[in-house]
Amino acid sequence: MDRNQLRKWFEDPVKMGHKYSLGAVYFCTGCGIIEVPPVITARWDAERFGVVPVATPRQANLFLITGYVSVKTLRAIIRTYEQMPDPKYLVGFGSCPINGGMYWDSYNTIKHLDKYVPVDGWIAGCMPRPEAIFIAVTHLWTLIDKDMADGYKRYKKYYKQYRRNQEMVLPNIEWPPLYPID
Amino acid sequence: MVRHVLELILVPFLALIIGLFLLGLARKVIARIHWRYGPPLLQPVIDIIRLFSQKSVSHGKIFDLGVLISLIGSFLVILFLPFGVFTPLAGSGGLLVILYVMLFAPIGIALSGGEGANPNISIGISRKLILSLSYEIPFLFILLSVMTYYHTISIVGAVNSQQTGGWALFSWPLVLPGVAYFMILPAMLGLRPFDMATAPQEISSGPQTEYGGKYLALVTIEHGLAIFIGIGLFVNLFLGGGNLWGSSVNSFLNTGWGVLISPVIFFLKMLIVFLLGLFIHAVFPRFRMEQAIKYLWRWPTLIAFVGLVIVLIVK
Repeated sequence: MDRNQLRKWFEDPVKMGHKYSLGAVYFCTGCGIIEVPPVITARWDAERFGVVPVATPRQANLFLITGYVSVKTLRAIIRTYEQMPDPKYLVGFGSCPINGGMYWDSYNTIKHLDKYVPVDGWIAGCMPRPEAIFIAVTHLWTLIDKDMADGYKRYKKYYKQYRRNQEMVLPNIEWPPLYPID
Repeated sequence: MVRHVLELILVPFLALIIGLFLLGLARKVIARIHWRYGPPLLQPVIDIIRLFSQKSVSHGKIFDLGVLISLIGSFLVILFLPFGVFTPLAGSGGLLVILYVMLFAPIGIALSGGEGANPNISIGISRKLILSLSYEIPFLFILLSVMTYYHTISIVGAVNSQQTGGWALFSWPLVLPGVAYFMILPAMLGLRPFDMATAPQEISSGPQTEYGGKYLALVTIEHGLAIFIGIGLFVNLFLGGGNLWGSSVNSFLNTGWGVLISPVIFFLKMLIVFLLGLFIHAVFPRFRMEQAIKYLWRWPTLIAFVGLVIVLIVK
């Protein structure tokens, strides 16, 4: 952690600000959310690393998908993700958003979340321990340092493909495209 | 003349720094009370750097202007507030001006939130306005008793009277108004148990729901300034501003040293009052609206009214 190195703050305040102030929206989709209260309260205290839960997507820049994603939930996830201001980072928590997990043959569960929204990182496990969130945050710092946490850029670049995938599972999306499609 | 211009620039700047410091201190102290390690003291500054560098969504011209109105209103109140020996505009205004200009900040946020058109914002603003209706009545009684006791509407006059006659909180006719002010202080600052207006768990942070990016940064700054104003007014009216106890000690404040020392004394007094408020904030749950009104219209109003009657009898 290089939060106390003043030289880096003067060199690139924007990058350091994004690293050490993460307003997180915890998307309570499944059982994964049960690991979050210990993380933000006295036992593990995520606030010492600057990770604070915020109430609305407008104030956030970290989006945590905790648990399986059903087709109905995907609609809310896409809307929330599009409401967050750039730069924004999305992390899938648990094995369900990665490949469906124990819902691998379910008829109404999304198997691969990154087909529909860009994911910057995964936390594998069923369930991951609360420490895994901290490991994910430190990995995210490394990615931000190397400009590799570019999910929001990918979303803009490949929006046509993302939107097509979204429309395949959600036949009647009621909101207009976020970015112009050719 | 030069000193006047310097004060006009320096005092809002100092208020900004102190407000952000108090915000950071609040997060750290609450964390320590929860037996957590807590964020660094400069976390609000880090947040503001992050928020200014994020893209933000505007909902129209009034949405932008409202935030600016509330920010400018807060800076204006600070200019009318004596800060130690610095009195940028305080000589020309009085408590009545402060009473009026203090309304700018909530009205700006209300205008801006109306343009945001989110139901959570409407609930938050209505809660904020009802709450301010509840604490304005004891607040008016308190200001009336202070003005009656010192025979002046000038806040500088009230501070100067305390320089020779001892602090208002410890001169017995003004004890009750001082206690009442401390009881409504959490409601003025939006601390628990009176943080219904920005309750993140109920109405997703109320008026701030649609603010992201630079808007949230400006609102955070405005919140810091609001804390400075609420506590600064208490310190000026009841704890003698930048003065120490007793006229013999205070004589050196009129020399050149006063410029350096009296802001420090003022800041230390603010720190003590703010910490007392935080201890309440950290352990209390949130009131419901009707509980808050019942409390504010009963106890602080009663105490302030009795105080006003005592002041009227004594004078």
